[in-house]
Amino acid sequence: MAQRYRVLLAVAAAVPVMLAAACSSGPGSAQATNEVTAPPASSSGGGIPLTPAAAPQTLSETGSTLLFPLMGAWAAAYHQQHPSVTITTAATGSGTGIKAASAGTASIGASDAYLSSGDLVKNPALLNIPLAVSAQQVNYNLPELPPGVHIKLDGAVLAQMYAGTITTWNDPAIAALNRGVALPSLRVVPLHRSDGSGDTFLFTSYLSTHSAGWNRLIGYGTSVAWPAVPGAQAEQGNAGMVSGCQATPGCVAYVGISYLSRALADRLGEAQLANTLGQYELPTPVTISAAVASFVSATPGNETISMVDGPAAAGYPIVNYEYAIVSVRQPGAAAARDLKAFLHWAITTGNAAQYLGQVRFQPLPGPVVALCDAQIAKIG
Amino acid sequence: MTVRSASPGSPAASQPAGQHPAGAAHAASPGPAAPRRRAGRRLRSAATPTRLRVLMIGLLLAALAWGAAGAWTVAQHASAARDVVTTSEPLSLSAQQMYRSLSDADVTATTAFLAGPDVPLAARQRYQADIAQAATDLSALKDAAAPGSGRTLPAGLTTVSTALPVYTGYVAQAQTEYALGYLLTGGSFMQVASEVMHLTLLPAARAVYGQENAGLTAASARATGLPWIAVVLVLAIGIGVVLYRVQRWLWRHSHRVVNYGLVTATAVLAAGALWLAVAFVVARADLQRGVGHGSAPAETLAQAAIDTQQIRGDEILNLISRSGDATFVADFGSVRAQLGPGPGTLLTNAAGSSPAGAGTLWAAAAARDVQPWYAVNDQVYRLDAQARYAQETRLVIGSGPGSSATGFGRVEADLSRAIAADQVIFHADATAGSDAFSGLEAGIIVAALLMALCCAWGLSVRLAEYR
Repeated sequence: MAQRYRVLLAVAAAVPVMLAAACSSGPGSAQATNEVTAPPASSSGGGIPLTPAAAPQTLSETGSTLLFPLMGAWAAAYHQQHPSVTITTAATGSGTGIKAASAGTASIGASDAYLSSGDLVKNPALLNIPLAVSAQQVNYNLPELPPGVHIKLDGAVLAQMYAGTITTWNDPAIAALNRGVALPSLRVVPLHRSDGSGDTFLFTSYLSTHSAGWNRLIGYGTSVAWPAVPGAQAEQGNAGMVSGCQATPGCVAYVGISYLSRALADRLGEAQLANTLGQYELPTPVTISAAVASFVSATPGNETISMVDGPAAAGYPIVNYEYAIVSVRQPGAAAARDLKAFLHWAITTGNAAQYLGQVRFQPLPGPVVALCDAQIAKIG
Repeated sequence: MTVRSASPGSPAASQPAGQHPAGAAHAASPGPAAPRRRAGRRLRSAATPTRLRVLMIGLLLAALAWGAAGAWTVAQHASAARDVVTTSEPLSLSAQQMYRSLSDADVTATTAFLAGPDVPLAARQRYQADIAQAATDLSALKDAAAPGSGRTLPAGLTTVSTALPVYTGYVAQAQTEYALGYLLTGGSFMQVASEVMHLTLLPAARAVYGQENAGLTAASARATGLPWIAVVLVLAIGIGVVLYRVQRWLWRHSHRVVNYGLVTATAVLAAGALWLAVAFVVARADLQRGVGHGSAPAETLAQAAIDTQQIRGDEILNLISRSGDATFVADFGSVRAQLGPGPGTLLTNAAGSSPAGAGTLWAAAAARDVQPWYAVNDQVYRLDAQARYAQETRLVIGSGPGSSATGFGRVEADLSRAIAADQVIFHADATAGSDAFSGLEAGIIVAALLMALCCAWGLSVRLAEYR
C-alpha cells in the first residue's frame, strides 16, 4: 500500500487524464510517437521492470467496452510519461479481447470476466490479471418517477422481467419491493447485449443466483439464449445499452459502471439491488469496496474469482475485477518488458483516483496487487 | 573306478599312458626327424599328468563358469518375470487407476456442483473414493521408486504429489463457498480446481502411466529376451564338446572306455541345459501369450478408457466455461475418431483381439454403447453453440436414460470390465511364465557343482594312476 501511495504522489504532478479525448477518439486512439528515450533500467524488485525498453514499442489493447474509457486514459497518460511506448485501444467486447490475446493479435485482451477453465486449458499461456475493481448497475427509463427515487430490484424480480413473466412496472412483485413508490404502468422492455459480453456474464450470474428458475431454464454466460419477450431489444456494447434505454421508456438494462455518469446524464434511473442478505444497495465506492474486501483473502493465485453476490452485509451485489488477458509468451524481450512495465504501472499508478474516479472504478486491494505482480512477473 | 580296456598288442595295456617303457622309445626307427620327434615325445610324455591337471582345472572352471552364467541368466529372467507379475504390472495398473481416479474425481465434483447447492451424498462419496484411490496409487508408485529399489521416480509423480493437495484444497474451498450459499464464488473455485486438474494433474498422471507402461513392456522384453539364454546354451554345448573330446582323448591314451566321472558330468550338463531351455521356452511362451492376449489388449482398452474420460472431462469443462469462447467440439471430434469404432480405432482393435474372450465381448459392448453417447454429445455441443446452457446442463449431468452421464457410465463400465478381464488373462499367463523358472536357479548351481565334482573325480582317478 505504501508503495502505491508513493506512486500516487509521484503521479499527482503528472499530466491530467484526457479521458474525454480518449473516449471520443475511438479504437486505436493513442497517437504513435517515434521519439526514442533511454530510461534508466529499474525494477520493482519482483522481476518487474518499472520502465519500458528504450526502443519505441506499440502495445495493442482490445476488448471490454466497460474498460475502454479507462484504458484510453491510461494509454494517454502512460505515453506522456513514457513516450517510447504507444498503446492502441479498441472497444470490441470481452469475447473479442480474449480471442485476440489467445491468438497473439493483441498485447492485452480486456475482459470484464475471468478466463474460463476451458479457455485456460485451451491456452495455458494465458493469464488473467485484474486491473481495477468494477461494478454493474441496472438502469431503467421511467420518466414519471420523481428524481432521487431509486427503484429496488432483486435477482428474482429481474429474472422475471427478463423472462417476460413481469410485463409492467407496476407489477405486484416490483411493487412489493418498492412500497410507497408510485410505479407507472409502463410495459417492461428488457434490453440485453447482442455481443458476447462480460457484462452479460455478470448480470446473468446474478439472476442465476437469485432465481432457481432462471438458473434451471437459462443459466449464465457471456451469451445466453434470452427468453423471447415481446419488445425486448439487443444492443451492441455498453454505449448501445445506454442509448437504447434512453430511447425506450419502460426499459430495464444492465450497464457497466463506467457508463453510469452517462446513463445519469441521459436521465436514466439507477436501481438499488438486493445483496445476499437482502439489503438494497447502490453501486457506490463504499458498497463496491465492501463487497470486494470480503473476497481478498480468498482470491486464488490466478485471480479467477466470482465476486457476484458476496457475503458483505453492506456490499453491492454485482462487482468484479476488470481483467487484462495476456500471454506469458511475448514476441520478444522488449515487448515483454514493456507489457510488464505497463501492467505494473496500471495496477499501481494507474489505480489512482484521478484515473479510476472518472469511470467510477475502485482501486485493487493491496494483497490483490501483490497477486497481480506475481502473475505479471511470469510474462517473458 | 577307471575301467581299463583290453587293447591287444598295446604297450599301454598294463601301464598308464605317458609312462612308456624306455625300450619302447628306443625301439623307434631313427631318421632325419628323429631328434624332434624324440623331443615331442618327451614333452608329451612329461605333459600327460600336467595335461590332466590342466584339463581338470579347465573343466572345473568351465563347469563353475557355466553354472555362474546359467544361474545369473536364470536369475535375470526369473527376476524380470517376477518383476512383470509383482511390480511392473501392478504399477502400470496403479498408474492407470490413478489417471482414471483423478479424472473421475474432477468430473464427479464438477457435476455435483452443476447439479445445485445440495451436493448429493453419492457424488460426495464417489469424489472422496476417487481421491482416496488416487492417493493410494500415488503412494504405491512412490514406494516402488524408493531409494534402493533400483527404480527411477517418474517425474510426473512429484507433480501429482504437489498438485493433488492444491486441487483438493480448491475443491474444499468451493464446497465451503457453496455451503455458505455463495454459489458463483464456489463455482469459480471449482473452475480453478478444474484448471489444476486439466493443466497439471492429468498430464502428469498420463506421463506416469506412459512411463510405467513402458516399464512393463521393458520387463516383459527382459523376461523373454534371447541373447543371454542363447549364450548359456552355446556355452553348455561348448563344454559338452570339450567333455566329449577329453573323454575321447582319455580313451585313446588310456584305453579306458568309460570315465564315469566325465560321463556323469556330461549327463548333468545335458540335463541342466535341457531344463534351462525348456523352462525358458515355456516361460517365454506364457509371457508372450500374456502380453499378446492380456496386456496389449488391456493397454488398448486403457487408452480407450482415457479417451472416454477425456471426452467426458472436456464436455464438463465446456459446460462450466461460460466466460470465454473456448469450445471443445473439435477435440471431441478428434478423440472420437481415435476411439472409434471404425477400422484401426481403439475400440474396434480391442473388440477384434484374438482369441475372443470376456475382454473382447466387453470391448464390443463398449463399441456398441459409445454410439448413443456420441449422439448425446453432438446434441450437447449444438446446445452449447446456441448458448442454451440450461438444456445443455440437463443433458450433460442428468441421470435419465438419454443423458450423457448415463451414456458415459455405460461405456466406462464396459471398458472397466474389459480391462479387468484382459488383466486376469495377463496375470495368469505372466504368473505361469514366472513360475516356470521356479527352482531353476538353484538347480543350475547344483548342476554346475555336481559337474565340477564329477570332472574332478573322473580326472583325479586318472591322475592317481601316475603316482
